[in-house]
Amino acid sequence: MTDQFQNLQVDLQTLPKIEEIVFTAIDKKYLKVSLLSSGLFFVVLAIGGVLMMYFNSEELKQNVYLPAALIYAFVLILNITLLKLGFKKKKYAVREKDIVYTKGLIWSVRTSIPFNRIQHAEIKQGPIERKFKLSSLKVFTAGGQSSDLVIPGLPSEKALELKDFVLGKTAEDGE
Amino acid sequence: MSWEKLPKMENSLPDFSKPSRQSSIAIGVILIKFIKITVRTFWPVLLSFFIGRKTGGSNFESMIGYVAIGIAALNLGGSIMTYFRFYFHLEKNAIVIDKGILKRSKVNIPFERIQTINFKQNILHQIFNVVSLEIDTAGAKKSEISIDALKKEDAIALRNYIISEKELLSNDNAETVEIESENLLEENILHLNPWDLIKVGISQNHLRSMALIFAFVFSTFNESNDFLRDFITDKFEQYESTVINNAVLPIVLLVITVLIISFLFSLVNSVLKFYELNLSINKKGLKLIRGLLNREEITISTNKIQIISWSTNPIRKMFSMFTMKISQASSTESSKKSNITVPGSYQHQIDKILKTVFSEALPDLEVEHHLSKLIKLRLMLFFGFVPLIVGGFIYYSRGLDLQVLMLLAFPFLSGVITELYYRKRSFQFNNEFLKNNAGIFGKSHELSQIHKIQAVRIKQSLYQKRKKLATVLLFTAAGQLKIPFIELEKANQLENFILYRVESDKREWM
Repeated sequence: MTDQFQNLQVDLQTLPKIEEIVFTAIDKKYLKVSLLSSGLFFVVLAIGGVLMMYFNSEELKQNVYLPAALIYAFVLILNITLLKLGFKKKKYAVREKDIVYTKGLIWSVRTSIPFNRIQHAEIKQGPIERKFKLSSLKVFTAGGQSSDLVIPGLPSEKALELKDFVLGKTAEDGE
Repeated sequence: MSWEKLPKMENSLPDFSKPSRQSSIAIGVILIKFIKITVRTFWPVLLSFFIGRKTGGSNFESMIGYVAIGIAALNLGGSIMTYFRFYFHLEKNAIVIDKGILKRSKVNIPFERIQTINFKQNILHQIFNVVSLEIDTAGAKKSEISIDALKKEDAIALRNYIISEKELLSNDNAETVEIESENLLEENILHLNPWDLIKVGISQNHLRSMALIFAFVFSTFNESNDFLRDFITDKFEQYESTVINNAVLPIVLLVITVLIISFLFSLVNSVLKFYELNLSINKKGLKLIRGLLNREEITISTNKIQIISWSTNPIRKMFSMFTMKISQASSTESSKKSNITVPGSYQHQIDKILKTVFSEALPDLEVEHHLSKLIKLRLMLFFGFVPLIVGGFIYYSRGLDLQVLMLLAFPFLSGVITELYYRKRSFQFNNEFLKNNAGIFGKSHELSQIHKIQAVRIKQSLYQKRKKLATVLLFTAAGQLKIPFIELEKANQLENFILYRVESDKREWM
């Protein structure tokens, strides 16, 4: 540590330490959800590509077919690997007075929102998530869209429970 | 609290409870708006029509003339109808606006959702002593309502009524009398006299004006129709051969012309924008009035202010002036226009504002914390060596010549700029405040209270992770504060402290 923070009214050592939080991983089924939804995208992409080649001239087909397929395969494998590795980074923690979520493989990001700054919380569920009985919890603050926090891959009951807990805490602090 | 109280409050106040139209000046105001829109959309056609007529008109062109007259008539008719189909009135705790010719709409805005009410005046407004009202509401999407023209007294009465009603709604048992009397105490903080105004104009960012002019010229050229484009390229081609023959002199002349135009542009622009600028303070907030052709009045209540920043550039520094910006909590990130920008403020005026808004003057902040030195390497890599290598490759592929040496300016310049940036970039905080300092040739500072922070985010790239560094983002309701490239341990401590302060602070952040 180079220079310490001084002159604060509290001893920094006595504060709850964010670096010591034990995070909870999100539901394992969420990996399947993200693989499936990106798989869907790749299927659409493949169909589009095949159609384009089908309607194009013969000579173009031969020149383009192999490199296109190679790039496709490469991006597909890269995508799956990144999703798998990135999934492990998605974790959350609920403390006494705030909620924390971390994510990101290449850019790791950790966002913390104190309960007394939460404006609103809601639960979202996409069609694929619904099949797996998963939901996302979205927490809004007045800090604008970029500061909002979304925890994906929560079992639906858990998400509801968490939302009620968070909103309860927010209301409590508001008094 | 209830509606019946209204007549007592102000004797001269017109009865806003019945649907009423705007001042009839609104027809003119709407007409100007319509003409502006028309000209903005059709101006290449109009221009080519005028040029075309000079070169000798045909039947086709006189037809265009009729179309133009038709459009003008349409505009006039449209604005008259818009005027007659616009009603507003006050209901219990809400303002109602009923408008629209083809698509009718009735909007009901509860007072508690109204964020600010600002006044604007263009020349027409100023001549007839009317104002246009802009009502900014706290809604997610496009939620702004404006009344084009109202008599000034009526507008002020309307605003005062809405604000006091809103106040009553938020704290039910508040003593109205007190609010009213306090409201009158107004203290003038800052007034730009003509000499100040000229100083502001001289010290504007002329590079930005230049960029604006270029952007305008290019977009105009792109949008203009084929006829005009051919016309211009034709004219230029005539000069091309001469230009190639003696290149240096015209280029020097061109540069000088562009510089002078940019300078004049920013001078005129600041006179138009900041003419008779006046910033005053009362118990509830700040009020800014400014502008020559378009005069506007912006009010911000003190408790909504989230960030105050002030900055200066080398020229402005010679006049010991700063540009002060006061940012308030806004519902949408795009509605930045309700922030107050004062380009010619002196240090003691900034101190006064800080004292009023944050209820203490700039306090003793802790030592300046600098960033990790590694950010210098990063910046030099991106802005110095990447262009060098890319440029080198391009030259290499086209055959090397002596010009390649010019590329060496990149690492040199980026080195100098990085060093300047690094020296000025720091952050400070104490129990109450957080301050960000930055600048390369100038200086800039941002100050916010810690309890106004809404969320904390720590980011690390792979490189930062390896070096145990992090970037801290602090979100407030008026934008974010960024502290890049500090030691991870420090970032964590900062986050711990901020979370503790936010969570234990019972004060309202707005």
